[in-house]
Amino acid sequence: MGTALLWELRKLGSQSRTRYTLLVCLLAPIAIVAVINSQQRPPKDTLYGRYVHESGYAMPLLVLGFAAQWVFPLLTSIVAGDIFASEDQHGTWKTILTRSVSRSSIFWAKTLASASFAGLTLTVFAASTIASSLLIVGTQPLQGLGGQLIPSATALPLVVASWALALAPLLGFTGLAILLSVKSRNPSVGIVAPLVIGFVMQLAGSLGGVDLLRRFFLTTPFESWHGLLVEHRFYGVIEQGLLVSAGWLLVCLAVAYTSLRRRDITGG
Amino acid sequence: MNEKPLAVDAVGITKKYGSLVAVNELSMAVAEGEVYGVLGPNGAGKTTFLRMLFGLIRPDSGTLEILGRTWQQDGPRALDGVAGFIESPKFYPYLTGRRNLELLAGLDGGGAASRIDGAIDRVDLTGRDRDKVGGYSFGMRQRLGMAAALLRDPRLLVLDEPANGLDPAGIRDMRALVKRLAASGLTVLLSSHNMDEVEEICDNVTIMRTGDVVYHGTIDRLREQAPQQAHRITTADNAAALALGDAHPNLQIVARDGALHARAEQAVIDGYVARLVAAGIAVRGLALDEAPLEALFFMLTETSPQSVPSAFEPAGAVA
Repeated sequence: MGTALLWELRKLGSQSRTRYTLLVCLLAPIAIVAVINSQQRPPKDTLYGRYVHESGYAMPLLVLGFAAQWVFPLLTSIVAGDIFASEDQHGTWKTILTRSVSRSSIFWAKTLASASFAGLTLTVFAASTIASSLLIVGTQPLQGLGGQLIPSATALPLVVASWALALAPLLGFTGLAILLSVKSRNPSVGIVAPLVIGFVMQLAGSLGGVDLLRRFFLTTPFESWHGLLVEHRFYGVIEQGLLVSAGWLLVCLAVAYTSLRRRDITGG
Repeated sequence: MNEKPLAVDAVGITKKYGSLVAVNELSMAVAEGEVYGVLGPNGAGKTTFLRMLFGLIRPDSGTLEILGRTWQQDGPRALDGVAGFIESPKFYPYLTGRRNLELLAGLDGGGAASRIDGAIDRVDLTGRDRDKVGGYSFGMRQRLGMAAALLRDPRLLVLDEPANGLDPAGIRDMRALVKRLAASGLTVLLSSHNMDEVEEICDNVTIMRTGDVVYHGTIDRLREQAPQQAHRITTADNAAALALGDAHPNLQIVARDGALHARAEQAVIDGYVARLVAAGIAVRGLALDEAPLEALFFMLTETSPQSVPSAFEPAGAVA
């Protein structure tokens, strides 16, 4: 499997789309932070929007809330939604599967490569956002969600942990994009559909009377960091977010794996 | 008896898609070092068989050994020592030819990477290997496909219609390359719908028609069973020439498309043309109509089984 993973990573590294995405993850947050900071009227209707001028720790949390809506699903779909379907698009399944390499190896190599890319984009995005926020706005104490003041030394690990918690649903979306990539065999569907599904879940989650259903939406775990920023932290929502994300990831990967293993490669 | 080991040993392979039988009870034995042709028109089942050989699709029944290995027991290791391509070879168009080969060599492992330069040189892609594949012509992609196969240093080379879509020069070069590789002792399994190609390159052949095997054996034996050479003759008075031909012994002649089509041994044709001239009927054209093997191929694959000559021996015994 190591050979196949190396092959897939080399292939990803050769794609300009992958490099540009990472570049955007590095540079876009700097511009976003600078633009928001320069605005006289902060986005007060958004969580932490009213505090962006008061603390450099509030800005990354505002960006995190915004990114969870569509940026994270898109970032992971760019690779995960395309990674299987592009082999159909280019007709290259037969090129790689005629070389003593198993479908299982290829599947797990592509899955690991997608997950690695998702983790890398999140890391670069988070590092760029937090660093630029602290440099541009400053390291003032952070106002907690319960109104408490969180000192600078405590705020930084909490902000980093908040971003780190996004990894779980991000991987859930990676699994969803992989499933759509395998089943649709169409890169456009693999990339756009997770984004649309994410929007639909957010929309449905905002409706009343769906509290039970909302727990199982893949977009809900993106909010689990709220549990870290109250005076008396609660971890139940974090555990639930991890479980829901893991469930989505496992189910999507299981269906995708079975589908690829059983498939007759006849196209191209 | 010291028989050569088999590179491909297929017994009773069947593949169905719903009610459509793509390959029906195919048995085939390709000895190592042999150049073997699988011949048939489009839809005969050739590519389906090659896909099963490469493990891209699974047969519904039958057994298939490749260089002594099977998919059931050995998984993808069944393809160790095997290389080739199905239909037209495909690559990542946004990468250069060389980069594509480097990636594939990475998948192959072993010494594949060290064979890249040699493979590029062997298929005459030197100088274009650093161009993106997206800008390659069809023929260049075919040659890159051959280079990708050679990276694996194969014992068995499987080629699916390698000359398909090539211009005449490309066809000539591709056939020359396959012959050079075959001369080096490589086993070649080649599928084609072109009788000339198989006749020129292969020692043995299996002819398929809508999933069924209608012949397998040597090219020489096939040649022996082929009908006589056909000629297309145009004259100043085709009606008179036809009447003269009907009276000529051992000559089959029909009028079609403004010309006469005569089938007989060469000496009989020569005699008939001499009689036309003697009778004052000017001969305006005399050309080979259909090669004997080609005629037999069409007879086997296009006409009903009942119309195949009774003397024809269909599928020979598989070794």
